[in-house]
Amino acid sequence: MRSFSEYDPIVIALYFMSVTGIAMFCHHPAVTVIALAGGLLFYLKRNGRANARFHLFLLGLFAVLALVNPLISHNGETVLFVVNDSPVTLEALLYGLNSAAMITAVLYWLRSFTEIMTSEKLMRITGALSPKLALALSMSVRFVPMFGTQARKINDTQKTLGLYREDNVIDGVKGSLRVFDILITWALENGIITADSMEARGYGSGKRVPYTDYRFRRWDWLLLASDAVLLAVCIAAIAADGLDINFYPRIVSPGMTPLTAAGLAAYGLLVLLPVIIDTEVDIRWRLYRSAD
Amino acid sequence: MALVQVSGLSFRYSGAEKAALSDISLSLEKGEFAVLCGSSGSGKSTLLRMLKRELTPLGDKTGEILYSGRPLEELTERESAASVGFVMQKPEQQIVTDKVWHELAFGAENLGIPRDKAARRIAETASWFGIGEWYERDTAKLSGGQKQLLNLASVLVMQPELVILDEPTAQLDPIAASEFITAVRRLNQELGITILMAEHRLEEAVPGCDRLLVMENGRLIADGAPGEVIGGLRDRPELLCGMPAAARLHTLLGAKGECPLTVREGRDLAASYIGDKRPSLPAVEYTVPEEKALEFDDVFFRYSRTSPDVLKGLDLSIGRGELFCILGGNGSGKTTALSSACALVKPYSGTIRVFGKKLKEYRNQSLYRECLALLPQDVQTVFLRSTVREELKDAGITAQELPFDITHLLDMHPYDLSGGEQQLAALAKVLAQKPKLLLLDEPTKGLDAAAKENMIKVLRSLRDSGVTVVTVTHDVEFAAGCADRCALFFNGRAVSVGTPAEFFPENSFYTTAAVRMTRGMADGVVTVSDAAEVCRMAGEGV
Repeated sequence: MRSFSEYDPIVIALYFMSVTGIAMFCHHPAVTVIALAGGLLFYLKRNGRANARFHLFLLGLFAVLALVNPLISHNGETVLFVVNDSPVTLEALLYGLNSAAMITAVLYWLRSFTEIMTSEKLMRITGALSPKLALALSMSVRFVPMFGTQARKINDTQKTLGLYREDNVIDGVKGSLRVFDILITWALENGIITADSMEARGYGSGKRVPYTDYRFRRWDWLLLASDAVLLAVCIAAIAADGLDINFYPRIVSPGMTPLTAAGLAAYGLLVLLPVIIDTEVDIRWRLYRSAD
Repeated sequence: MALVQVSGLSFRYSGAEKAALSDISLSLEKGEFAVLCGSSGSGKSTLLRMLKRELTPLGDKTGEILYSGRPLEELTERESAASVGFVMQKPEQQIVTDKVWHELAFGAENLGIPRDKAARRIAETASWFGIGEWYERDTAKLSGGQKQLLNLASVLVMQPELVILDEPTAQLDPIAASEFITAVRRLNQELGITILMAEHRLEEAVPGCDRLLVMENGRLIADGAPGEVIGGLRDRPELLCGMPAAARLHTLLGAKGECPLTVREGRDLAASYIGDKRPSLPAVEYTVPEEKALEFDDVFFRYSRTSPDVLKGLDLSIGRGELFCILGGNGSGKTTALSSACALVKPYSGTIRVFGKKLKEYRNQSLYRECLALLPQDVQTVFLRSTVREELKDAGITAQELPFDITHLLDMHPYDLSGGEQQLAALAKVLAQKPKLLLLDEPTKGLDAAAKENMIKVLRSLRDSGVTVVTVTHDVEFAAGCADRCALFFNGRAVSVGTPAEFFPENSFYTTAAVRMTRGMADGVVTVSDAAEVCRMAGEGV
C-alpha cells in the first residue's frame, strides 16, 4: 500500500544503481531498449503528460548522439555510403543508436531519481554512510539560507544609513565588500553559540548513535531481496558473456542462449518493479474508495 | 541533599583585571524554581555558565561547585551533558540541525541512546510540548517562540534534573515570552525539574518562583523568597525598577506586610488604600502639533501578488516633535509601516508623506540625509566595523555630539556589547544622519529594566531637541512611560490613537499593570507612580 517513492531511501538508491548500472555496463540492444522503455514508462507514470520540454530535450539529445557516432567513428566492415571520402558504416550507426538510447534511458531514470530523492532522503542515505557527514550537511542546509537572510537585512539597514548611493557604482561595490566582511564576523559569532549549544547537549561525549525515523520494513526487505535476486541473474548472464554484443569490427551477437533469455527477463522485471508497485497501489486505493 | 551547592565561588576571566564573580555561595534544592536577576554585566551569565561544565569559560576559579554532593568536575562527560540542561538567549543560533525532529534527536544521538529508547523520549517530549504538529518542519520556518520552545524541548529529551536558562525570553514578543515561561513553570510543577532562570521579564517570572536571587557586580546580594527579597531592595531603585508592578507599588507606598507580586494582589493593596473613594489624577492637556512629520493616507501593501494585505488602508498622522509609540501584536503591520515610511517597501496604493512631501519626491537618497533615519529591530545589522570608534568615524559623528554617553564603549567590538549598549551604539550611528524624524523598531528588545529607563530618557531628550520620534514596540510599560501619543495596530490598520492617559485606561488587555491594578477604583492612572499617587491621595482623604 505504499508507492515506490515511499520506500526506504537506501533501497531506492540501490535500486536505481542496479538499473542504471546494468544499462550502462551491457552493450546489448535488448537491454538498452528495456531500460529506455522502463525509464520512460516510470517517468510517465509519475508525471503524466507534463514536462513535454524534457521529452523534447531528450529526443533532441538522442538524435544528436545517434548521428554523431557514425560521422566520427569509421570502424566497422559494412560500409553503407561515403561522405566526404569517409565511410559511414552500419556498425558505427548501430553502435551510435545503442549508445544514444542508453544515455537517454539513464537520463530518464536519473530524472525520476532526483524527483524522488528529496534532501531529507539524501540525508538518510548520507547518515547511513557517514553520520558526521550527515550532520555537517544538515547544519549547512540550515546555515546557507540564514546567511542569505542576514545579508538582506544588513543591506536594507545600510541602505537607510546611506551606504549605497544610486549614482555611484564604486561606492556600491565598496559597500558590498564591507557588508560581506561583517557577515563573516556574524557567521563566526553565530558559530560560537551553535558550538556551545552542541557541546551543552553532549556533542563529542562519546560515540554517537544517529537517529532516524526511517526503519526497514517488510516491504523494504522485499524490494531489496527482489532487487538482489534479479540483479544476480543479470550478473550471471553478463559473466557468461550472454548480455554483450560486439559491434566492431563486425556485429557478433551471443545469440539467444537460455542464460541470455533469463538475463533479459530478469532485467525486464527489475525495470518494471516501480511501475508494478505504483500500479498495484493505484488499484488498491481505487478498491478502497469504491468500498465506502 | 542539595542538588547544587556552590561555596565561595570566585572567578576571573583570563586576561581580565576585575573578578567576574566574587565569593558566591548558594544552594539549590531539588525541585526548586529559582529566578536570578540583576542588571546586564552583573555576572549572571558567568554564574550560570559555571554551573554547566561544558560552557564554563576559561579563567581563574576558586571555590567549589557540588552537584548532587559530587564536585562538578568529577561527573562523567555524559552525566554532565545529560543532567544539566542549558538554554541560551538567542533562539535561532542555538538550533543545530535543519529539521525539528532531528533537533529533538540531537542530544539523544550524542548520548548514544539506542534508537527505540530515543524514539520514545522524543515522542513523549514532542507531545508534552505540543510539537507534534510541526515535528517534520524545517527549523528555519518556525517563529521565534517556537524556536525557543524547541530549544527547551531538545534539552528535555536528555532528561535533565536541572535546567538552566539564560534570559530565554529576551528575544521573544510578550505573548511568546509568557507561553515560554508557562512551559518552564509546568516543567517545574508537573515534572519536578529544578529550574534556575536568569530573566529580565520579572513581571511574569517572579510570581510563582520559590527563590529570587539578585546579583550585582559579581556578588550575590540577595537570596530568598521573592516577597522578602523585593522588600529588602527598597532603597535600590535601579534594581527595583524591573520588579513586578504590584511589588513596586508596595515599596513606593512604603506599605507594611507581605509584598504583593501579581496584579490581583496589587489590586488588593490598592483597594486597601483607596477604599470606596474614587480619586482621579488631573488630566494633562495635550495638543497634537499642527505641522505633520509623517502621514499615512489610505496605504495598502502586500509582499507579493497572491499574499494577503499587510497594511489595509492605514491612516495615521504624526505631528512634528511628537514622541509616538505604535503598539500591536505580531503581524499587525507595525514593522511594515516603518519599512514603508523609509521606502524599503513600496505600497501599491495610498500615499505616505514625510514632512509634507511625498516619498517619491525624495530623490537619490535625500530621504536618508538630514531627514529620516531608522533604527532596525536587529541592531547588529547597523554595524560594519570592528570597533565602535570606527563606526562613529565612518558615520561622521563624535561621541561628544551625542545626547548620551558611550565613551567607555568606543574601543569594543560592537558585537561584544550587551543588548542595551548595542542599542545605544547603533542609535549613535543612526543619529549621525542628523534625522528630523527618527524611526525605531523594538528598541527595548532584550534590554533589562534599567537599560529601558535609560532608553526612555534618551528618546525624551531627542524629542526635546526637536526630533520627531516614532517607536514600534510590543512593550506596553515602555510605551506608557515615554509616549506623547500611542496607536494600537491591528490587522494592518491603526485602530485607536490617543495620549497614554486616554489610550491605556480605555484598553482592557493591552494595557499597563498599573491600569489593571486600579481599574474601577481610580481614574487617570497609567504608570505605577501614578497608582502610588492616587493611593496616597485617597489615603490623605481627598
